Amino acid sequence: MATVIHTKGLVKRYGKVRALDGLDLEVEAGQIHGFLGPNGAGKSTTIRVLLGLARPTSGEATVFGGDPWRDAVSLHRRIASVPGDVSLWPNLSGGEAIDLLARLRGAPRRDAAYKAEKERLMHEFQFDPRKKGRAYSKGNRQKVALISALSVPADLYIFDEPTSGLDPLMEVVFRAEIDRLRAAGATVLLSSHILSEVELLCDRVSIIRAGKIVETGTLAELRHLTRTEVSFDATTVPDAIAGAHDVIVSEGRARFTVDSDAVNGILPVLAQRDVQGLRIEPPSLEELFLRHYGDDLAALDASTGSATGAGRPATRAGRSATGAGR
Amino acid sequence: MSGLLPLLRQRMRRDWKQLLIWTIGTGLFAYASYSAVSQSYGELQERQALLVTVMANPVILLFRGLPSGAEQGQLMVFLMFPWLAMLAAFMSTFLAVRHTRMDEEQGRAELVSATPAGRTTPVVATVIHGLIANFVLAALTTLGFLASGLEMTEANVAGAKVVGFAVGAVGVAFLGIGLIAGQIMRTSRGANALAVWILVATFVICGIGNALGTPSDDLQRMESSWLTWLSPFGWGENTRAYADDNLWPGVLALVFGLVLAGIAIVLQSVRDLGEGFIPERRGRAEAGPLLSTPTGLVWRLTWGAILGWTIGGLLTGMLSTSLASVVDQVSGDNPAIVDILEKIGGSNGSLQQATVSVFFLMLGIFAACAAVQIVIRARQEEAHGTAEPVLSAAVGRVRWLVDYLVVAFVAMVLVVVAGVVGATLGLASVDGGSELMETIVVTAAGQLVAASVFLVLTALVFVLAPRATIALGWTLIAVGAIFGLFGPLFGFPDWMASLSPLEAAPKVTTDGVQLNGLWWLIAVVLVGGAGAITLMRRRELVTGG
Repeated sequence: MATVIHTKGLVKRYGKVRALDGLDLEVEAGQIHGFLGPNGAGKSTTIRVLLGLARPTSGEATVFGGDPWRDAVSLHRRIASVPGDVSLWPNLSGGEAIDLLARLRGAPRRDAAYKAEKERLMHEFQFDPRKKGRAYSKGNRQKVALISALSVPADLYIFDEPTSGLDPLMEVVFRAEIDRLRAAGATVLLSSHILSEVELLCDRVSIIRAGKIVETGTLAELRHLTRTEVSFDATTVPDAIAGAHDVIVSEGRARFTVDSDAVNGILPVLAQRDVQGLRIEPPSLEELFLRHYGDDLAALDASTGSATGAGRPATRAGRSATGAGR
Repeated sequence: MSGLLPLLRQRMRRDWKQLLIWTIGTGLFAYASYSAVSQSYGELQERQALLVTVMANPVILLFRGLPSGAEQGQLMVFLMFPWLAMLAAFMSTFLAVRHTRMDEEQGRAELVSATPAGRTTPVVATVIHGLIANFVLAALTTLGFLASGLEMTEANVAGAKVVGFAVGAVGVAFLGIGLIAGQIMRTSRGANALAVWILVATFVICGIGNALGTPSDDLQRMESSWLTWLSPFGWGENTRAYADDNLWPGVLALVFGLVLAGIAIVLQSVRDLGEGFIPERRGRAEAGPLLSTPTGLVWRLTWGAILGWTIGGLLTGMLSTSLASVVDQVSGDNPAIVDILEKIGGSNGSLQQATVSVFFLMLGIFAACAAVQIVIRARQEEAHGTAEPVLSAAVGRVRWLVDYLVVAFVAMVLVVVAGVVGATLGLASVDGGSELMETIVVTAAGQLVAASVFLVLTALVFVLAPRATIALGWTLIAVGAIFGLFGPLFGFPDWMASLSPLEAAPKVTTDGVQLNGLWWLIAVVLVGGAGAITLMRRRELVTGG
């Protein structure tokens, strides 16, 4: 498979701040690639480098094999992007802004196909194109960027937190559009901190932390890195179960975790004991995420005195689990 | 009025550096006027001769104040007052719009108005803030005059107080005008444009009113015509500091400003936050053919400003030639002026040439303003995030900047050509003015080159230090204008005055065309332009203010 986005040891410094600190990112053609991280982790900086809006301090970055800084114009003919915070020209209407941006990306002025696609998207997103830019809410500004990006076919779509500001109905429309892009074979880099969105849409995920990619793989691969949580009704601590970690009893239920590839091994034991109300929860993306950000959370807990993250698998599952994967 | 004090403190905190520079600058400007007068016109006879010359050619009154006599203090006020008042006026309108409409436009006002401060307290805080700023400016102006070296007689101390009061009062009048502009217009850009238009128009009206006034028999004093009384600048000038020390015209300006501020507070209390008084028209559903290229976008974003400066150029051109004839008719009745004109003798032509030169210096400043404003627009696009989607499409960084530079150059050409057209139209009303055409065309072309220097310097600042673009761009013009308009008066050495491109540009005198620093100017434009474009290749997008 052809590599669409490739970065190696990418560093971007702003003064003393290292926004990117040796970022290695690979996105293959046809992938819907989730780019996960909290605010300030370096997602937007990475995207700005990939779009040639910022020049890397060191390291390499290529998009379609080209240099995003030097070949910006030719690359941008193949890329559609939606920035995280959309600003519009206050005195241009939304419709004018959509047309302008689409034309700058190469849509011919009287192109029937473009017009039809734009009309369809404006209908789907329930967008009123005749208001002036300053009159739009955040969600509607986002729609301008989304409609103009989606209305001209591209090989690569880069979305920076595209659904921020959209209501849940519009999020559904956006997901349908991503499915359409997937079917068309386009490549998508979707930056987000909304885990459920990435879980639903993406087939590969890269987690960024402090300017570095700390985990990358398919969701299935990543799930093997963390433990599955098992719980059933119990009032007292059950007898030891092989492979179970961190057994606790609270609110009438016994809970413990097992390595994800050892779940089958404990099922006979549970069947034998005839446990009631059995629930087996595979690790969510949230837990994957917390695995890397758990210490931040712990620090937060320590400073606020709350117990938000206490007992989460996040801090328990060590990196040693990596070797246990299939 | 809960929240008034915190809002006031916030305004001072946000502005103090800017206001410090502005008020101290005004004070220093006032202080410098003494050395200007004592160097250029040290002797009483020289001052009297100057005033007689002015009466003979009152067009000059467009760039100076109202003559009240030949005493040193009186002459300082005559030479400097309009410009001191203009500084106060600019400070006040920008201050008013910055803390009202701009806050609303950028959503900050919504945050504040959601607190118990409500909708009108921020405007009240802005009024108080503006009054304090003008008080400081007035006090520093008075100090400037006191410290200037005039004898500390009772009359001179009183005169210094009156001139400070008058300058501050004009500032307050424009504080009110700025507040009203902020209420009427929906954008801060629109409000600033409206306020600046009113400012320039009333400045010119005041000057024309003075030029059309009635000189006293000894040609040392001018009574303003009624036109002057339509302008806050005229009110300020008619306080006649160091001569009459007449306070009531200043009080008129003060009351005018406060009434407008009151109206602004009422308007603010009856309208929705963020809205104007004219309902927003619906925009087009689709973009027209213009919005197909980045150049088209730049034109769309800037044509309003370009139109404004071009009309300004046209009017300047018309005044440069037609006003001379009007003034001729007025002064023709006065035998003393006829006498003076005859003494100047055959140089009548050169007097007209000089008049055209002075007006076209203004034309050059207008052209430079138009160009710098467009480069600043590029910076605003970058800072507000609207450059990003354009640069994320198939538009290169260099192409993007070049578009702004090209449109800025076109704007300068339009302003200058409008000036030439205006001057030609004005000439049509004068008999035998055709020999002035050479002066008009050569001076206009020279000023176009001079204005281009401001364009490329601002472009270089934009590429090298983007965050300084707005401040440095306007500062360059202000410095250039001061050197150009006041350099000779302040007795700056020639080499210093010729640092201003406006002064270094070619001129026409009775000896023919003087090229002056033309080749230097062209060299700076070419090297600077090429440098800006080359450096843009390596320049990243720098967002945020």
